[in-house]
Amino acid sequence: MARNVTPQRKAINTVIAWAAGLLIFFPILWTILTSFKTEAQAISSPPVFLFFDWTLENYAVVQERSNYMRFLWNSVIIAGGSTVLGVLIAIPAAWSMAFVPSRRTKDILMWMLSTKMLPAVGVLYPIYLICIELGILDSRAALVVVLMLINLPIIVWMLYTYFKEIPGEILEAARMDGASLKAEILYVLTPMAVPGIASTMLLNFILAWNEAFWTLNLTAAKAAPLTAFIASYSSPEGLFYAKLSAASTMAIAPILILGWFSQKQLVRGLTFGAVK
Amino acid sequence: MASEAKRPIGLFRNLAAKIAAIPMILTALVVFLGGTLWTVTYSFTNSKLLPRADFVGFDQYERLWATERWQVSIENLMIYGLCSLVFSFIIGFVLAALMDQKIRFENTFRTIILYPFALSFIVTGLVWQWLLNPDLGIQNVIRSLGFTNFDFNPLYNPDIVIYGVLIAGLWQGTGLVMVLMLAGLRGIDGDIWKAARVDGIPMWKTYLFIVIPMMRPVFITTLVIIASGIVRLYDLIVAQTSGGPGISSEVPAKYVYDYMFQGQNLGQGFAASTMMLLAVAIVIIPWAMLEFGGKKRV
Repeated sequence: MARNVTPQRKAINTVIAWAAGLLIFFPILWTILTSFKTEAQAISSPPVFLFFDWTLENYAVVQERSNYMRFLWNSVIIAGGSTVLGVLIAIPAAWSMAFVPSRRTKDILMWMLSTKMLPAVGVLYPIYLICIELGILDSRAALVVVLMLINLPIIVWMLYTYFKEIPGEILEAARMDGASLKAEILYVLTPMAVPGIASTMLLNFILAWNEAFWTLNLTAAKAAPLTAFIASYSSPEGLFYAKLSAASTMAIAPILILGWFSQKQLVRGLTFGAVK
Repeated sequence: MASEAKRPIGLFRNLAAKIAAIPMILTALVVFLGGTLWTVTYSFTNSKLLPRADFVGFDQYERLWATERWQVSIENLMIYGLCSLVFSFIIGFVLAALMDQKIRFENTFRTIILYPFALSFIVTGLVWQWLLNPDLGIQNVIRSLGFTNFDFNPLYNPDIVIYGVLIAGLWQGTGLVMVLMLAGLRGIDGDIWKAARVDGIPMWKTYLFIVIPMMRPVFITTLVIIASGIVRLYDLIVAQTSGGPGISSEVPAKYVYDYMFQGQNLGQGFAASTMMLLAVAIVIIPWAMLEFGGKKRV
């Protein structure tokens, strides 16, 4: 991996990479900055970058018009619930595929992952109907289950790649000492796989947090998460960019903060099967 | 296969393993297979507001392919899909190759470049709708710097609006591709670089003929992720252009959704989603056979 690079070369690389990085980060930064401007400054030409009168007025207006905490809480419950539920179902499945592989394990894994490629609209209506029949449309429970199903293939796949790196002999030793199957999974495998499980959960939390197709279609008012919050500002507020930016900033802040403090897990999670 | 000394335990474990995998297989089977089959079945009916088992053969499909909006949707998805595959691979790989040569503050850089991926498509779409707005965004900034003839206004031009969406899509996805590629590059043995240098092979040839073929698994993972993102293209369109101007940035998923929930023409929506399904199957099945069929017993 490590090739010898001259200091000049390293400096040049750093400059190019950071220029690209800033370019990529700029839209996010711009949104955050705009959220502190007044509406007039937000659309002023030429645009003001840093030297404007910082104001919190937009946040106050957004908070007044829609209850941010309720949306945030819905997002937390939905993303958290679907992740925990998914991991609970995925751990036994990944265990079985990693340590008791059969001739079909590879096929099942492949087949399961391919469902991730199917267009979600294909199952939208059936799921919508089921939700109506069960009377759980616009409830957090419905979204927890649906998002869990959507992300389950990825959870299983990721856990499988992490589990495979754990030597089977350790589990065997535990079994020799008389550990039951439950104890084997619960007290031997799971603690060893904690870093992998953490990365998996983090990634799926973010995926569920950002999922808009299902959350917009299966919720109305009660269970709407932050994706719906921000979407609701897009149409009627089309011309109020400072308020839109404030709403956007409020919607993305939790993820940006979470991502910053868990960089290592985030990167490991996002590179899932790829790192060998 | 049967050379295990402790046979009973092995048998029990096999059974336990099968049971352990059941919840997952069952959910995948019931939801995806069941839901999909249901949709396919009802695509042959003339359901309007509610699904009705009134079969009309291929009527919905004939109507579908005669609709201009559907043709535009397919064309857009193909342009978007092809471009985002090509560009995100190239940009992602070049950035990763740069980073692999060690840069300062690498971890921070990696997190920043991943941030767009951690945003919802809704936010991405709104932000880029604004950045590409001719009076407020990039065009305005560059014009105010003195280049008054600068013209960059993709979102209001029906011919190129899909490329405006593509920019936002690439912005969101490229960071992830880069991180995946970087992980792949880091997995390559350092001796290979030394050997190539000793043999006097130029850098670009080393990348092209030695390193890239070795990164095959990473490329496949990346391909799966990008491809599944392309089929799902919906939120970004809704947030950024709502399919406009006119119908020039419509995509199939939006077509399906609009016919199901707004057009109150379920049959048409089902037929469109069945076509999407078919298109995905045509791409996936031969590839999956090639990739996994040959080495079943490994």
